[in-house]
This record gives sequence, C-alpha cells and structure tokens, in this order.
Amino acid sequence: MLIDSDVHVGYETLLDLCDYLDPPTRELVIHSGTNGLGMPTYPWYHPTGWLRGDTYDREATEVGAQLPGQNLERVRANLLDASDVTYAILTPDEAAAFSVLPNAELAARLCSGYNNWLLERYLEEEPRVRGLLVVPPQHPEAAAREIRRLGPRDEFVGVFLPGGARVPYGNPVHEPLWRACEELALPVAVHTHFEGVGIAGPVTAAGYPDHYVEYHTLCGAGMWGHFVSILCHGVFERHPDTRVMMMEGGLVPFVGLLWRLETNWRACRSEIPYCRRPPSEYVLEHVRFTTQPLEEPADERLLLPAIEGIAPWETLCYASDYPHWDFDEPEQTLRRFPAEWRDAVAHGNAMSFFRLPTPVEA
Amino acid sequence: MSAGRPRETRIPLAEAPPPGRVRMIRVGAHRIALFRVDGKFHALADRCPHRGAPLCSRGRVVTAIEVRDGEPAIGPQDALVRCPWHKWDFEIATGRCAVHPRLRVRRYTVEVDDGELVVSLSKAP
Repeated sequence: MLIDSDVHVGYETLLDLCDYLDPPTRELVIHSGTNGLGMPTYPWYHPTGWLRGDTYDREATEVGAQLPGQNLERVRANLLDASDVTYAILTPDEAAAFSVLPNAELAARLCSGYNNWLLERYLEEEPRVRGLLVVPPQHPEAAAREIRRLGPRDEFVGVFLPGGARVPYGNPVHEPLWRACEELALPVAVHTHFEGVGIAGPVTAAGYPDHYVEYHTLCGAGMWGHFVSILCHGVFERHPDTRVMMMEGGLVPFVGLLWRLETNWRACRSEIPYCRRPPSEYVLEHVRFTTQPLEEPADERLLLPAIEGIAPWETLCYASDYPHWDFDEPEQTLRRFPAEWRDAVAHGNAMSFFRLPTPVEA
Repeated sequence: MSAGRPRETRIPLAEAPPPGRVRMIRVGAHRIALFRVDGKFHALADRCPHRGAPLCSRGRVVTAIEVRDGEPAIGPQDALVRCPWHKWDFEIATGRCAVHPRLRVRRYTVEVDDGELVVSLSKAP
C-alpha cells in the first residue's frame, strides 16, 4: 500500500477553467491584457526544465501552457499504475498562484473555478485520487466560504496553502480559515510555492536570489515562517482537531528550527501565552512532513540522525512531487528508511492524517 | 556532619521578604533565597539547574501570563522566579521548572518558630 501525498496536476492554460468560472471572471480570464489573464510567476527559469520529461507533451508545447499534455491518463500511466499508488493527494501547479494575486476577490473566484475543474476532471473520474482545495489566504472569509462549499465532499481531504504569502498563516487574520478547517476536520497542507511572487514576501530577508538554484535551495523559507507562526500563535490550542502538513520544505531544517523555537519558547513564552506547551509537543501531535525532496548527504549515514528530531516514524509521509524534475521514486525513497518505519512512511501516517478510507481490495 | 558548619539560620520575621521580593541569606556555604508566595515562605538554592546561573539573587520574581477562556490572564501573583541568564521560569513553591519537565531547583526547609524564620539545610518536603 502506498500513499503519495504530493502529486501536482494543473490545467494547460487558464482558459481551461472558463467552463467552471462565474461569467464575470470568465470574461476577465478571456479578455484581460492582450492575450487573456496571466498569472504572476517565478522570475527564475529552471535551466533544464521544471518537469520530468515524460510527464507532458513536448510536441504540443504552446505559449502560455503550464502543463501541456498533462492529464489524468498520464497521471494514471506514469504514477498511479506504475507505482501501484493506493491514493494520490492532488496538489495544484499554477493554480497555487491564485493565493498570491493582489486582487483577493478575483483570487477567490479563480480558486472556486479551479476546485470545480479539479473535481470534475480528476476527482470524480479516478477513485485513487483525492484533492486539496485551493483557497485565497489573502481573503480569509472567502477562503472559509470555499472550504465550507466543497470541504464536505469526500473527494477533498484538505486545504492547500502555498509557502509564499503576504501574512504568516498563524496570524489571527487567518482565523476564519482555521475555524472552517476545524469545523470540517480538514487538515491544511503548506507547500513551497510562489515565494517572492505576486504579493508574497521575499524568499528570504537576504534579498532576491539571482538564480533558480538559489531559489530552490531556499524555497522552504516561507514554509518555515508559517511553521513557526502557526506554533507561536497557538493555532493548535484554539483548534485542537487541526492538522498541518509541511510539504516539500525539507526535513533537516525543521529539526533545527524546532530546537531553536523550543529554546526561545522557554525564555519568551510570556509573549506567546497561547502556545502553552513546548512547541515540539504540538508538532508531534498535529504536524506531518512529506519526504520529498529527501535530503541527500554525501554520506548517507548522516541522514537518519539528522531527521530524528521530528520523530519521522510518526510524522513522515511519502511524497513523489510528480511531475516535477526532482521527483522521488517511491521504492528508492522508502529504502532509505529503516524497515520498521517504512509502513508508516509509505501509508500509515498519511492514512490517518488525511483520514482516508481503507481501500477496498479489487 | 562537618563540625562548626551551621545547619540552619534564623532571621526575625520582620526581616522576611514581602511578596514579590527575595531575601538572600547564607547557611554555612549555601546561598539561599527566601521568598513569600501567597502568605507562605519558601527557600530555594541560588543556582539555576539549567546552566548554573545565580537564579534567585540575580533573577526576578514574576507572575505568569496564562490563557483563560481564550484570553491572556495573570497567573498566581509573584509565584515564579525567572533566571537572569536564559529567562527560564521556576515555580517558587515547588522549585519545578515551568519550561523543562526534568529540572527542579533545590528547596530547603523553612519554618516559623517563635517570631523567627528558621531556614535549615534539610531538603524541603
């Protein structure tokens, strides 16, 4: 049994969402600018390509296309069937940019359109996939409405928030979003995406990185900020049934952050009385991490001791990041963990985190 | 028992610390801090079990900030001593560290006897 907690899917162009949008938003998507509405994107370009070479239709590449030829059939062939995936959790690609648009109302409408599209094109078509709702964190009330609109459907098992953001997610401005998640018992997945893009803050306080390779090394920084913010604001105290997954932010950095936060909490807890217990206790109870991109030290023996601080046997969930260039193949990834952790990492931790139903044997 | 080393010290009740203050005394070679919390006297070693700082003589008596009914609220008045180095809090009444489950400050016995406070080196119950 295998659960892949991070599988990206997306439309080829924003125009694909037209049938799923309200009329005024459709009008904007078609007629904005000179060639329709464009999304903000990274100022860096991957020098050898963002995507695994066999996951899209290279021949059909056209201007403006995000994932040409990316469709459910390819996901089935390349991933679900090839790796015998029991469940894949579908995460957005370009649609994550809705969360960093300055126009929060437009963002909310695009999110609804994307979620409708995802439901019809993927989730209702394939029982092995589940979706994360894309919502506008820059408009927390609208995000809560969207969570309440589609969150009750079994096809959606959580809420997606990108690492790039205007305000860290623990900040009380996001309270409506957290309330809606708890109401529906839906977890939140914070995934590195669009740091330094749109209304999101810079990748780090050092200033803008010059190269894609710098960005991709640092891109977890936004997530680290959200991780600390969520803990310090006592989100798990106010919403004890809330779960959070940190997707694609690395593992080793979280160990160091947690150690540092725990030390600081001891001295500064009077500033954050909502964080009543040592932060690590909340992490073990409420936070899960995805494996990809699993760090690759030159000496492999260094990996496990470096991540033991987040109790990976309880918190770690396998993820491939399909179809991206740094995809982690399941068998090789799981082999890097001790045998006694493997079932938990391969499926046990994600099953309980996403509260997935036990699959029926074919 | 080493001969000549006093095992206890007596001070007049009138010189006992008021709530929120510390009174440092010596019993033999031991530097001991006296506190008054909620009308009761407590004696703690002047050594932080975390990194050995002069916990009581240089630390501060503070009141915890807690959360009640979802709002920040004041805890028991002047019930903690805060280490001057790393700012870890310790419950004066129990010696327990508020932020580390395995650490505890050494506590000594304090009794009131005939208008005096008697602080002895025996461990407090």
